[in-house]
Amino acid sequence: MAIESPVRMPALDYEKEMKRWSQVFKILSEDGPKIEHSPRQLVWRKNKTTLWYYAAEEKKYSTPLFFVYSLLNKPYILDISPETSVIAGLTKRGYDVYLLDWGTPGYEDGDISFDTYILDYLEKGVKRALRHSGEDEISVVGYCLGGTIASIFASITDLPIKNLIVATVPIDFSTGIGPEKWLEGMKNGQFEIDRLVDVYGTIPADYIYYGMKSLAPIYVSPYVGLMSRAHDSKYVDRWRRMDKWLNDATPFTGAALKQMFNELYKENKLVKGELVIGGKKADLSKIDCPFFAVSSANDSLIAESQSLPIMDLVSSEDKTYKLVEAGHVSLALSGMFAPLVDEWLAPRSTKVQE
Amino acid sequence: MSKEKYDPYKGFRDLTGLWEKQMNSLLLAWADNSEFVKLSNRSMATHSRYMELLKKNQETMANLMNIPTKSDVQNVAKLTIQAEEKIDALEEQIWNLQDSFTEINKGNMEFFGELVSLSKEMKTELEKNAKELRETKKVKADLQKLRKELSDTNVLIAELQELRQGLADTSSLKSELQELKQELAQYQEPKTEAKVEKKELELAGVGLGK
Repeated sequence: MAIESPVRMPALDYEKEMKRWSQVFKILSEDGPKIEHSPRQLVWRKNKTTLWYYAAEEKKYSTPLFFVYSLLNKPYILDISPETSVIAGLTKRGYDVYLLDWGTPGYEDGDISFDTYILDYLEKGVKRALRHSGEDEISVVGYCLGGTIASIFASITDLPIKNLIVATVPIDFSTGIGPEKWLEGMKNGQFEIDRLVDVYGTIPADYIYYGMKSLAPIYVSPYVGLMSRAHDSKYVDRWRRMDKWLNDATPFTGAALKQMFNELYKENKLVKGELVIGGKKADLSKIDCPFFAVSSANDSLIAESQSLPIMDLVSSEDKTYKLVEAGHVSLALSGMFAPLVDEWLAPRSTKVQE
Repeated sequence: MSKEKYDPYKGFRDLTGLWEKQMNSLLLAWADNSEFVKLSNRSMATHSRYMELLKKNQETMANLMNIPTKSDVQNVAKLTIQAEEKIDALEEQIWNLQDSFTEINKGNMEFFGELVSLSKEMKTELEKNAKELRETKKVKADLQKLRKELSDTNVLIAELQELRQGLADTSSLKSELQELKQELAQYQEPKTEAKVEKKELELAGVGLGK
């Protein structure tokens, strides 16, 4: 006669466990995933910067979209997988998309500042996109630091920007996610980077990676999360793509980093309207086109308080602010950014004449 | 046997999440002071100083061994970028030229369009004129015909004139004939009177020679 155990032990799903550990073994033994891009066409290349064109599957809007990504990471997060790609999501919705990939700067690019990036790369890229599309106007989308760059660009350019969209954008550098004393140290000169920047020219990608990691030095939960859901192939694939991207930081040019540190973090010149780019004052009140800002509620890099002031700074009559339940990376990684953009942009884009 | 599946990782995951959050908060709290910031700055300055020294030595050694350094490569790369910028500038100038050509072509096309419409109008006019000319020629021919007919009429008139003249002559002849007739009548009158007298005499029974 069988004796029943006094403790009720739930059954272990052996099949699931087998799948889990074989996936873990695969992750440990195989190379990282290969990121395949949506169909695209090279429009222009300068130095390491490339302008890509993603044609709409079925063009509904004649106004093209121009993506400006951050200088700190690689832009392939916007086209990370066919199912969750932000760019593919927009091309499927009928938009022609242009993406300016800043590339990976080398030692020789140490003197590329925000001025150079905005005037010699971004403005020329937008000009080329306009020329390539044959349209009179273009909508600009800036993500993270790319949003800051896009906003500065929109405030000084004469090019016809129809709509401006920024997501998880740092505008007010007086506040932030990091410890208060760090921000204070940056502002009062206790912490200086000029000498380090001068000696390196371009700050290596590892320094940028560890700099961002310093905001959350213990990083184990994603690995535990992976182990606990390793039986789910879709989750594993998404996780591996995200992990690849997170570890794939970009070197930062010295001149741009100095400018960001001294003029933005230290003196907060952008909010004060004192930032000068190419001899022109980057006054955000000069932005008067329809404007859309998106912040993510669980952002671990950019606080909402850093993005919000832009709503008062721009002089656009048609301006929208949206706080979404997402993280800094997951907003793009999950692809949810595409329907968000489409929802706001569709009535503000010129429709294709039938 | 229970159908409930046991997930041995759920609790572990939850615990790790909590632990990670707490550890990060703790570490950041430890680092959130001016001393840590100053220490980081000093460490960074020292690191920078050593890197400068290393770079300087590297440059000196490279110069001695006559091999290019990173700075030399940087200069060459800058030349390439300059060349790219020049090509970009040229491309933009080509755009401007293209735009001008397009404008000119557009103007030319408009002009040609006008020319074509003008030519069409002229053609229509020409056809109209040719038609008119044809009609005029016809009218001229008619006129010629009329003139000829007129000249014929003139001949007729002349002939008529001649006829009239002839007629006039005939009239004079007629009048002469009339005169002659008259004269003849006058000549015949006494004869008649003699006849009448003879007749009266016969009637009266007077023979003339019987």
